[in-house]
Amino acid sequence: MDSCLGVEREVDKVLSKFNGINENANQVLQHISGQVDNLKQEFESIPSENELTLQQVTLLKQTLNQVVETLKRLTGDHRDLHSSVSKVGKAIDRHFTVDFAACSREDVFNGSDNERLLNQVICQHFYQQGMLDIAEHLAEEAGLTLEEEKTEPFSDINKILESLKKRDVTIALEWAEEHKVFLARHKSSLIFKLHQLRFIQLIEKGITHQAEAMQYARTFLTQYVDSYEKEIQNLMGTFLYLPQGLSGSPYAHYLTPTLWAEINEIFMHDACRFLGLSIDSPLSICINAGCTALPALLNIKYVMQQRQVSSMWNGKDELPIEIDLGPPHQYHSVFACPILRQQSSEQNPPMRLVCGHVISRDALNKLGHNVHKLKCPYCPVEQNASEAVELKF
Amino acid sequence: MADIKALEHPTLKVPYELLNKKFRSAQKQIDREVAHVTSAVSELERGLLSNSIQATDITKLLGGMVQKLQVLKRKAEESITEELQVGLVCKRRLEHLKEHASGNVGAVSQWRRRRLDRMLVEYFLRRGYYGAATRLAHTSDLKDLTNIDVFLVSREVEQSLADHDTSKCLAWCHDNRSKLRKLKSNMEFNLRVQEFIELVRSDKKLEAVKHARKYFSTYEDNQLEEIQHCMALLAFSPDIQISPYKELLELKRWDRLVEQFRQENYRLFQMASQSVFTVALQAGLSALKTPYPFHIKTLIFLYKFKESKSSNCPVCQEWLNILATPLPYAHCSQSRLVCAMSGEPLNENNQPMVLPNGYVYGEQALLQMAAENNGQIICPRTKDIFPYKKVEKVFVM
Repeated sequence: MDSCLGVEREVDKVLSKFNGINENANQVLQHISGQVDNLKQEFESIPSENELTLQQVTLLKQTLNQVVETLKRLTGDHRDLHSSVSKVGKAIDRHFTVDFAACSREDVFNGSDNERLLNQVICQHFYQQGMLDIAEHLAEEAGLTLEEEKTEPFSDINKILESLKKRDVTIALEWAEEHKVFLARHKSSLIFKLHQLRFIQLIEKGITHQAEAMQYARTFLTQYVDSYEKEIQNLMGTFLYLPQGLSGSPYAHYLTPTLWAEINEIFMHDACRFLGLSIDSPLSICINAGCTALPALLNIKYVMQQRQVSSMWNGKDELPIEIDLGPPHQYHSVFACPILRQQSSEQNPPMRLVCGHVISRDALNKLGHNVHKLKCPYCPVEQNASEAVELKF
Repeated sequence: MADIKALEHPTLKVPYELLNKKFRSAQKQIDREVAHVTSAVSELERGLLSNSIQATDITKLLGGMVQKLQVLKRKAEESITEELQVGLVCKRRLEHLKEHASGNVGAVSQWRRRRLDRMLVEYFLRRGYYGAATRLAHTSDLKDLTNIDVFLVSREVEQSLADHDTSKCLAWCHDNRSKLRKLKSNMEFNLRVQEFIELVRSDKKLEAVKHARKYFSTYEDNQLEEIQHCMALLAFSPDIQISPYKELLELKRWDRLVEQFRQENYRLFQMASQSVFTVALQAGLSALKTPYPFHIKTLIFLYKFKESKSSNCPVCQEWLNILATPLPYAHCSQSRLVCAMSGEPLNENNQPMVLPNGYVYGEQALLQMAAENNGQIICPRTKDIFPYKKVEKVFVM
């Protein structure tokens, strides 16, 4: 936040100075050109053969001097703005990381194979966001061929999204009814929300459609009373304001576009779940994780450079520090040996001792080296190294 | 907030560079018009020096001056308004960045979505997918927040270079001359060399010599060798097979010019040679990548558990998995265990338990499975069947 404010201060200064100079230039130029114009008119009134009097010449000279002076000041003023402008640049460099690519490798996504893979990932992302047109544009420009089976389910979804954009819930409702069991299993609110929207649409039509709205509520909303009692009470309240319209009533919020934005999200969420896709696109998870990780990585890189130990991080095996992305992004188990403080790997898997404690194979080998019996480092149990079992998390 | 500091430098720096450029051109414009007026003034003063001062002459000169002052006024206003416009772009981007700090969870996730779109627009532009970039910027309303205009200019230059035409790129060099000189760019020199080569190729050797006299005579120190190579080219026929003349005549040199132009354009606007998108993606993949169990191996197994949380792991997705192969793993000094069956964390409330085959799951998931299967456990990964009482505790420090 500070960094934004720091830059903003400079930008505001520049903007106000530009505004000032704009007004000033306008005024000054208006003034002097008016003066010169006056002189001109005065001289025009003199009969053409006459010469100018000495007085007039001095007046003219004075005006000319004034013109030159003002213009000089004007260009000078504008030139002086340079320092304010370049201050903005310096503020940006100071408050933001210039070399944000310092700890990335340039070659990772190069090469036509990797480029293609990356574009496929991006395409998939847009499919999942319901932005089919962009995915198709990209596929065309990047020369990707989209597999029919991958895109087909999305095109149905996209049709529904399109119709929702036009505020038509019909096909969305059809889809929801078709997958009713699935939705019920995941306690989805989709069907109810769709009915609610359709009901509001009827209410919006005013008093003439009162009977129709009533009928609709009876047929479709009653079955949801158990789970959506409060919502249905609210919806019924709208009948009070039918004659004068909902805008201005306590129920005006039913007319805002947020309800439609919400239904889009709920639908996408359920549809992705139905297709077995993760709800957030993998790409956005990665990017958000990257945005969390990068500041820390840049920091440690900077510190390592300062201490001249930058060679300690070759950027190949492991990141130099732990990045906490939070529990929702912990997808797999990681085992770090409590003795060697090392992550286990295929060559160095976790081993369970007879007593149940787990250490890595390297640690086990070190403990059991040349000894007939080894003692568990955590409890008094003695055992043979060969009795330990490899674990798979 | 730290992510803004780390990643948004180009978002602000590019409009700043534009502002700087606009400022310079405005200064030039104003200076030029002021010079016109002052020359009119000195003309008038010369008129006043003569012995007989005719009123008509003077009024005519004054008329001219009024006109020039009007032009100055108009031009000054135009230039300053342009400067203000660019300044406002900076301001708008700052406003957008500040929205990130709003505490509202929904707003932040919306902001992040737009950030990804911004990154993608930039990535597309760098890759040359202009159609997708403009489309995305339009749909997500990002025109003011991305540097799309800068790239659309460079697109024209790139296209003309690809068509073996140097004029647009030379105009660009001229436009940014002082900046390029500061960056010690040899773009213009390379273009002139290319023009020379093309003349040689089409066997217009006399014209080539003229061209060389005109443009090569003011060479910089390090360019002498290349000029010598060029001049020697005159002695050979265009199908020469000897190095370095063969390389000079290659058509691939045009592609290199396009590439050089791109890089110089990035430097001009102080953009890094890598896009923010790829940088962030790399860091993200690394931060999510775990060495053990290996992602691709668990993949097949995880597909059968579509409902489980693990299938959401981005690094397990087929394509991202390949892309992540050369990247470093996340660092971890403390074990963090997750039940491979339920995706729930393993801790004192959900103890890790091992089956006789060495596979570890959470107690809760195993109890549930045993309850549903008459006390039998079917290991989801090996399909081995064990009675629940063979399950043993595991202690992870």
